[in-house]
Amino acid sequence: MRLAFGSRQFLALLFLGLALLPWVANPYILYVSNLAMLYIILALGLNMLVGYAGQFALANAAMFGIGAYGTGLLEVRLGLPYLLAAPGGAVLAMLIGTAITFPALRLSGIYLALSTLAFAMFSQWVLLHWYSVTYGGGGFRVPHLDLSPLPIGPDLGIYYLSWAVTIVLVVLAWALVRSRIGRAFVAIRDGEVAAQSLGIDLLRYKALAFALSGFYAGVAGALYTPLLGYISPEGFDLFQMIIQKSMIVVGGMGSILGSVIGATVMVAVLELLRQFKSTQEIVFGSILIAFVLFRPRGIVTLLRRLPGWEEPLSSFDRRRYVVTAPSSPAAATGLARAAAEPTRGEGR
Amino acid sequence: MKMLSVRDLSVVFGGVRALSEVSFEVAEGEIIGVIGPNGAGKTTLLNTISGLSRASQGEIHLAGSRITGRRPTEIAALGLGRTFQLSQLFPGMTVLENVMTGLHLRTRASALAAAFRTRGMRAEEEEAAAKAWQALAYVGMERFAHRPGTELSFGQQRIVEIARTLIGEPKLVLLDEPAVGLSLTRVAELDGLLRRIRDERGVTLVMIEHVVRLVMDVCDRVVVLNYGMKIAEGAPEEVTSDAQVIAAYLGSGFDAARRSS
Repeated sequence: MRLAFGSRQFLALLFLGLALLPWVANPYILYVSNLAMLYIILALGLNMLVGYAGQFALANAAMFGIGAYGTGLLEVRLGLPYLLAAPGGAVLAMLIGTAITFPALRLSGIYLALSTLAFAMFSQWVLLHWYSVTYGGGGFRVPHLDLSPLPIGPDLGIYYLSWAVTIVLVVLAWALVRSRIGRAFVAIRDGEVAAQSLGIDLLRYKALAFALSGFYAGVAGALYTPLLGYISPEGFDLFQMIIQKSMIVVGGMGSILGSVIGATVMVAVLELLRQFKSTQEIVFGSILIAFVLFRPRGIVTLLRRLPGWEEPLSSFDRRRYVVTAPSSPAAATGLARAAAEPTRGEGR
Repeated sequence: MKMLSVRDLSVVFGGVRALSEVSFEVAEGEIIGVIGPNGAGKTTLLNTISGLSRASQGEIHLAGSRITGRRPTEIAALGLGRTFQLSQLFPGMTVLENVMTGLHLRTRASALAAAFRTRGMRAEEEEAAAKAWQALAYVGMERFAHRPGTELSFGQQRIVEIARTLIGEPKLVLLDEPAVGLSLTRVAELDGLLRRIRDERGVTLVMIEHVVRLVMDVCDRVVVLNYGMKIAEGAPEEVTSDAQVIAAYLGSGFDAARRSS
């Protein structure tokens, strides 16, 4: 008998728990959980770009900032209500993320990393120095979230808004990676030459991956604005990028569930170390190095060892396709017999 | 109809002339072998046809369309399939997923349709999976459907690559040494598979191959390259008895070995 417990059930339980949390948790725990949900969104977007499509880009923190600033500035400068400003900020991050990375699309590896890092530095500089728009290094306050016809305060309001948005984005990301789009991403990551010869347009799918990660980061930024009530450039610096990167490494590159686990675990680590500020970066760095060295595909690889755990190889539901296996006479050909011996490296 | 025509094709990398003024034609439904010693320019020829290398001079037409200078993606969309000398299965996918990826050009679902799992997208996905199973059964590899591609032997990986290419219904498939690493009995099976692909599916094949027996058996004609130049072309028996070819490639012992077998 098999215990049918897998990533779906895990996620369902996690979000059920998060839905019930406000009844038992204090405001601090609630805030940290809310933050964890935003990081889940960030990690999902980054994992689609880095883990699935294999594009090692370092502009995600900047996209997060653009989403947050876009939302905040639309509220403060143009007086838009949050529910209009937030999608605006998210779309702005997606558009800038896609536009700016177009020159970067022809680069790969370390060159891509450096050019996107340069963009991240540039956007920091703009946030700091374009005072007439961004209020410079001091940042600015944003209005409290007002969902007024609904009987819900600003803190619980942003909590449940984040909860709903996170669930939607997890489900969408999950569906995407197990479609032809996800296969195109993995194909580009695993072999550009073979991907091209199957007709997969490299530039198009890289641009799509950048757009997706920009959108996810933008949405996280848009939710971050009312959660903090205050925005300044320092939240979107290089350390922010390292935090996000470490989440997908710790959770599992190329895994939706890994993004969720990694974000949750690393937010917890960051908060536990909040009192020991001096050790924060050391512990953080050590965890990252330990994972890169000893468990490069993240915590999800441990879960996969549990008896009865079900998670397909590339986030792909295998069981669905077993039933469609035809019993074809071609299976009786000689090559089928040849195939019966799965020896690695035959003849080489 | 001419499926492929290569005219005066030259490819220069820096100062190295990898191909010079190679011309040949392939009719629809033919199986053509490309042979020649290492470094003769065989893989460069396939790479240039598939758009991975740039032609310095000359023209290539695929089923009547000029493909010189086009991107690999466009050439694939015009009906060119390709397998590689070193297997290019995607290690992050199962064998079945690899083969489904071969349907990329035959499926339509957009990112939005995929994200929201529209009815059309799900139907397309089911059909893709069913076709992938059929393609795997066709080459006799369906028992590996759920294995990661990297668990297979190199020979098996190349067979899966053939399935991945075939599923996209190409008109012409370029095979780069499909028999490397196969034992003699497996070579005989590959022989049968290649014939079936041509006879049942009407696919034209151009293959680089070092296994002489396979070339002799399955190819209608053979093109021989040496130092980037075409030195012979013709039926396998003619070519392998050509003195220039024997000297360049087969070695002087070949004729004796053939007589004794």
